[in-house]
Amino acid sequence: MVSVIGASLTEFGRRKDGSSFRDWAADAFESALSMSGLERSDIDLLACSSESDFFTFQLNPASVIAGDLGLTGAASMRVEGGGASGQLAVHSAVNAIRSGQAKRAAVVGFDPSASQLSAAAVKELYCLSFDAWTDGMTGTSSTVLYALSFQFFMETRGLDERHLAQVTIQNRDNALSNAKAHLGRRHSAQEIYASPIIASPYRRLHCSPLSDGAAAIILSERNSAPNQRRNAPRIVGIGASSDKPRLGARNAPGEFRSKTAAMKIACASAGLTPADIGLAEIYDAYAGAQLQAIEALGFTDDIICDLERDAFRPGGRLPVNLSGGLMGQGAPAGAIGVGQTANCALFLEGLHYSELQPASPPKYALADTHGGVCTTSAVTILGVGL
Amino acid sequence: MIKRELPLEYRLAPGWLTPWIESVVRGETLARSCRACGRISFVPERVCECGCAEGIWKSLPGTATVIRRTFGADGSFGLVRFDYADTCTVVELDGFELGNRRGKLVPPGGHLPKLILQPEFGAASA
Repeated sequence: MVSVIGASLTEFGRRKDGSSFRDWAADAFESALSMSGLERSDIDLLACSSESDFFTFQLNPASVIAGDLGLTGAASMRVEGGGASGQLAVHSAVNAIRSGQAKRAAVVGFDPSASQLSAAAVKELYCLSFDAWTDGMTGTSSTVLYALSFQFFMETRGLDERHLAQVTIQNRDNALSNAKAHLGRRHSAQEIYASPIIASPYRRLHCSPLSDGAAAIILSERNSAPNQRRNAPRIVGIGASSDKPRLGARNAPGEFRSKTAAMKIACASAGLTPADIGLAEIYDAYAGAQLQAIEALGFTDDIICDLERDAFRPGGRLPVNLSGGLMGQGAPAGAIGVGQTANCALFLEGLHYSELQPASPPKYALADTHGGVCTTSAVTILGVGL
Repeated sequence: MIKRELPLEYRLAPGWLTPWIESVVRGETLARSCRACGRISFVPERVCECGCAEGIWKSLPGTATVIRRTFGADGSFGLVRFDYADTCTVVELDGFELGNRRGKLVPPGGHLPKLILQPEFGAASA
């Protein structure tokens, strides 16, 4: 069993204070290490996640981060899988511990997605997240591809812009309770309907922001954890899968099939079903993507009915993105998956700083990410009190 | 702040995609047909869904039907199916009005292999 004995996130946002991703990584790591009760010399593996060297201006970032964190001597690696980079780094560390190659690992995710390059440059780089030789050459943006995918889903489920507004309002409202979030806002539906169309049906307010930030978790094989952290939340299931990178090559462009496959693997390894999950941090790069993900993960049979019943709001059947998600908390690419896992661990343990921390935390939580238009999927199930 | 520019000029060798890239630049529609099952992919897939990695190049007429379209600040794009292809692809829609559903691939007018669809002259509107 692998336990999450330390978890921390920096503020997500557009940093203008002269700090760099190396500072944020160090801040997140030191805080997580302090929570874990370990010394830095106890860490024998560092798994970093960062989506792109273009963002950091640093090839082999794990080497400099290991140096900055005082982890020279530990095995170090950088894991990359687009938006799923953070979860895949978590999985790499979990697998290293399960296999006996490591006993205690630090997973540190970071990216300066907002402050180091212009928004136009970052947007152009994100076009390379898909098939850069085909869709990328044609000039399709991330929003264009997500919009086309969502149109299929929207039509077959009978969704409309009211449902996109509901997701936007909920995630940004949740972020208001998260002091470290990038975009805590109280939007009205009219404000959302009036925001510029980026790629129909997506408007500017349906999109997640470009953010700077870092997150870190400390993982330990259960028996190698300090006594005071032996009851920390555990990672009970992990799963990953992939789909065709080009939307047009898929038989069902509106379905997030790799997410469904990843979830099945994670649930099988945990001996759980989606109904056992009591809280989820879901990859909401766009408002509609959250709805596609909720269904793909097996959390609903009728998305409209569940939205009308407020099933995914705080206090609902399955609270989704209490942190605010990518749309509200923010989206520093490499930090997203690590941050989601950190959020889940903190919520399960009753230690999250958000005002939305459930008074009676559930037993299981899910962290869900993907890269591309749900091309590379990775999910992690955490449990507490086991 | 450290200001640093990194000018990069890539020279991308298209490898197995060379025939396709060169055809797109000419405004032609070259698809890949699976040797085992005959499935036609455009954009070409190196390995077919049936698992066969052998394919032959096959010219298509270049006409397509728009399945989905999106427009806005990021431009006008569509998910289209080229006639005789078994897969769809994303293209830029140039000069399309709301009623246009049929189009034809045109040369991109530069060295980049961009997939650009213009309304097919005389095609019926939906």
